[in-house]
Amino acid sequence: MSDGRRPRPPALARRLLECVAPRAMREALVGDLEEAFYADVLPARGAMRARAWYWRETIRVAVMRLPFVEGEDDVVSTGDSSMQLLAADLRFAVRMLARRPGFSLLAILTLAVGIGATTAIFSVLDPMLFRALPYPDAGRILTVWERDHDGSESNVGFATFTDIARDNKSLVAVAAIGSWQTVMTSTAEPERLEGERVSYGYFDVLGVQPVLGRAFRADEDAPNAPRVVVLSDGLWRRRFGGDPSLVGKPVTLGGNPYTVIGVMAKSFENVLGPRTQMWTPLRYDASLAWACRTCRHLRAVGRLKPAVDAASARRELDQLSANLIRAYPNDYPASGFALVPVRDWMTRAVRPALLAVFGAVALLLVIACANVTSLLLARAAQRESEFAVRIALGAGHRRVLRQLLTESVLLAAVGGAAGFALAYAGLVLLVRLGPADLPRLDAITVDARVLAFAIVVTALAGIASGLAPALHVARGDLQSSIRRAGHRTGGSTRTRSMLVVGEMALALVLLVGTGLLLRSLGRLLGVNPGVDPNHLLTMEVQVSGAKYRNDTAVRAFFDDALRAVRAIPGVDRAGLASQLPLGGNFDSYGVHIELKPNANPELDPSAMRYAVSADYLETMRIPVKRGRSLTAQDAAGAPEVLVINETFARHMWPGDDPIGKRVRVGAPDKGAWFTIVGIAGDVQHVSLDAARADQMYIPEAQWRFADDALTLVVRTRGDPAEMASAVRSAVWSVDKDQAITSVATMEKVLAASTARRRFLLMLFELFAVVALALAAAGTYGVLSGSVAQRAREIGIRAALGATRGDILRLVVRQGVGLAVAGIAIGTAAALALSRAIAGLLFGVTATDPLTFAAVATILLAVALAACAVPAWRAARLDPVVALRSET
Amino acid sequence: MGSTLGEFEQLVLLALVRLGDDAYGVTVRRELEKRAARSVSLATVYTTLARLEAKGLVDTRVGEPTPQRGGRRKKHYVIVPAGRRALRDTLRTLRRMTSGLDAVWDA
Repeated sequence: MSDGRRPRPPALARRLLECVAPRAMREALVGDLEEAFYADVLPARGAMRARAWYWRETIRVAVMRLPFVEGEDDVVSTGDSSMQLLAADLRFAVRMLARRPGFSLLAILTLAVGIGATTAIFSVLDPMLFRALPYPDAGRILTVWERDHDGSESNVGFATFTDIARDNKSLVAVAAIGSWQTVMTSTAEPERLEGERVSYGYFDVLGVQPVLGRAFRADEDAPNAPRVVVLSDGLWRRRFGGDPSLVGKPVTLGGNPYTVIGVMAKSFENVLGPRTQMWTPLRYDASLAWACRTCRHLRAVGRLKPAVDAASARRELDQLSANLIRAYPNDYPASGFALVPVRDWMTRAVRPALLAVFGAVALLLVIACANVTSLLLARAAQRESEFAVRIALGAGHRRVLRQLLTESVLLAAVGGAAGFALAYAGLVLLVRLGPADLPRLDAITVDARVLAFAIVVTALAGIASGLAPALHVARGDLQSSIRRAGHRTGGSTRTRSMLVVGEMALALVLLVGTGLLLRSLGRLLGVNPGVDPNHLLTMEVQVSGAKYRNDTAVRAFFDDALRAVRAIPGVDRAGLASQLPLGGNFDSYGVHIELKPNANPELDPSAMRYAVSADYLETMRIPVKRGRSLTAQDAAGAPEVLVINETFARHMWPGDDPIGKRVRVGAPDKGAWFTIVGIAGDVQHVSLDAARADQMYIPEAQWRFADDALTLVVRTRGDPAEMASAVRSAVWSVDKDQAITSVATMEKVLAASTARRRFLLMLFELFAVVALALAAAGTYGVLSGSVAQRAREIGIRAALGATRGDILRLVVRQGVGLAVAGIAIGTAAALALSRAIAGLLFGVTATDPLTFAAVATILLAVALAACAVPAWRAARLDPVVALRSET
Repeated sequence: MGSTLGEFEQLVLLALVRLGDDAYGVTVRRELEKRAARSVSLATVYTTLARLEAKGLVDTRVGEPTPQRGGRRKKHYVIVPAGRRALRDTLRTLRRMTSGLDAVWDA
């Protein structure tokens, strides 16, 4: 490969070296580098590394500010310090920028948009992806999961957790976490609170202690121990006015007395459950039915011992898992535990989208820099005679180079400051518009890290956009340009054309990403959710207190509440269900089919359980495809029945009729046999883009326990939002002490489920529009510059008989040529890059031809529009004036 | 003058002495790499040479261009008597300080 062409020192580096080396040393230094390159470095290290060496040497010469005897090289040869030189450069730069306010403002705004957008996005990403979690040695905290039969992670059962906690040697501390929704009644009005039941060592795992009082003791984490609670700072302030003497006092939660033993610090962030307002010990009663090995409803988190790494902990836990499977072969669907670092677990769902946004904003920044480079090039071309004169008067090349870089860095600094302000304002907007389920949304701030990031980006942008123009000027043989009176600037036009092609290409990549996301959202909104969201009001009702200790009382309350709601004028139908589609809750049970026993019942299917009242399916307008719906006659004591969805029917009884078949739900060996009486349509439960899942509807009255929280769904004749207070009053007319939460129309619930996607799309759209505008401005700038330069040529053509149409075509052809080149390169780049967002797409492939074609068309149209004014100007050029102006 | 020589300055001056007529950037760097087992950048060599020139310890003359250097001329460096004196003083001091220590290090 190398025999044809022998490797050479990098040309760009040599050019740079010639600029930065002091004149007195230039020849010797460049010659020495070249000789050493061929004689010493190339034979010893090979072409690649020799070129890298050459670059390093060049950079060293540039930054070292060699204390050479300067001689005639500098304008100021009186021994001015570099600080004085810098001050002089800065003064001059300010004057130059002020002299052309239009140009300066445009460049500053462009940089401000690029730097501001990048900084704003960085400040959103930083707490999620980069900044350490707010715990000591947070990298050693891992979430622990069992594995499902398909290898996916699943919650942990208490028995399994106890075995891990007892037998492992890798973790300093490990804690289980259970959900805890309860109602606080000791103060003012009842309020439903989000809490967590945790093992006593939970705060030790996190490495955090309460700021007031203390954390849990081991003896408090036992079934009959006195109830204690630790409050979050927010709850403590909101409900108790930040009373410092609260510790030791009682509160009533869910009708039970608790003692407050501690308050967490304001700075404490519970990343494992961001909405959690209080914690109580797990107090797990291992004798109860739900303590079974297969009842997986806890999360677990552990902290690695100092000397242990995650890999060896994983190996140890896999060994533990193998032992457990040997001991309980029917209780585990798959082997092994999953250990996932907390941050990975927290950001897994949003990481690809966040990185895509960061990539998009980086593209935007590059486009902005390219645009400013192009502006500076045009400006430098105008100023060529100025530089030529300065050099003729004795300014060194290095001096001119430095002057130009000072100007571009100054531009970037002003742009960066404006961008930082923009980022700050944008951030407020981002946090407000951002979906509420983004992790660590509250930790997003503009802090020193963000400032440092903005400064680095600004410096890079300043140098990146200023280097090419500065080299152009400093390298160009300017002496000759005095003679040419600064008219022909072929080199810089070529560079600017290349920049425009690059901008077009990058804008196309962004547009393709946006187009693909847009089409995905369109497809997603076209998905049938399985329910009719119009005129549908939903809310969660939770019972608590001493009188609801038994299931009969709970069921009586809900029956009465439902009856009261149905009696409201304007209410068409109403029903209750244990979980709401797209409502963010999830509950599923193993289903064991009669006469189809599996050797390991853990491998039997599991289906989402909806414990529902009569009329629920009708209220939601979930169609019953075969058989019958559930009615009030399917009460306690009546034959147990259930309705399954179509996917479940296809999945378990392919080509067979499931109606009349019997199944057990939960335990395989005890409980009632439910007879399948109907098949309902599929409902999207987790999200619109989730795969169809197995679902079943069981009469609430026939389920083995009464859920203490149910979702009330109400089909209204008018606007459902207006009915909310009437429905609430109806529920409270039965018992005014019960908590009602999550009041929302089904349309809102549906919209919230696509909030992340719409947010992502909004950001992409914003960036794409700005990128497109910048690319159009770049095209316009190059074409109008080119028309001005070619005025004489155009004048001659016109004088020789070219029509206006000919000249119009001439300019448009140039613009279209740039656009086509940009589209070609951009399409190739987009084909390679769009795969990066494949995971964010829905119902459309990353290489969707329609999107690519549409985007190319848009870009071409924008380029044509950008041609219009310069082309029109060229066509109107008076040949006489053009020719005379050139003499 | 009484100016003391830094360690790297000593090495560069010694290289000049060894190289005689053939001392310029490339050969000085090569000599340091070969004898002192130091990988140094040309920029560093030149910085030091410039400092030595400013101190009046070395002199320069412009040499011949060679094709290997893209036709560029060399800048040769030679040590002047003041430089020899400064180097000799420094080395003498070093020798006095180290004499008799070999036994200690070998033990």
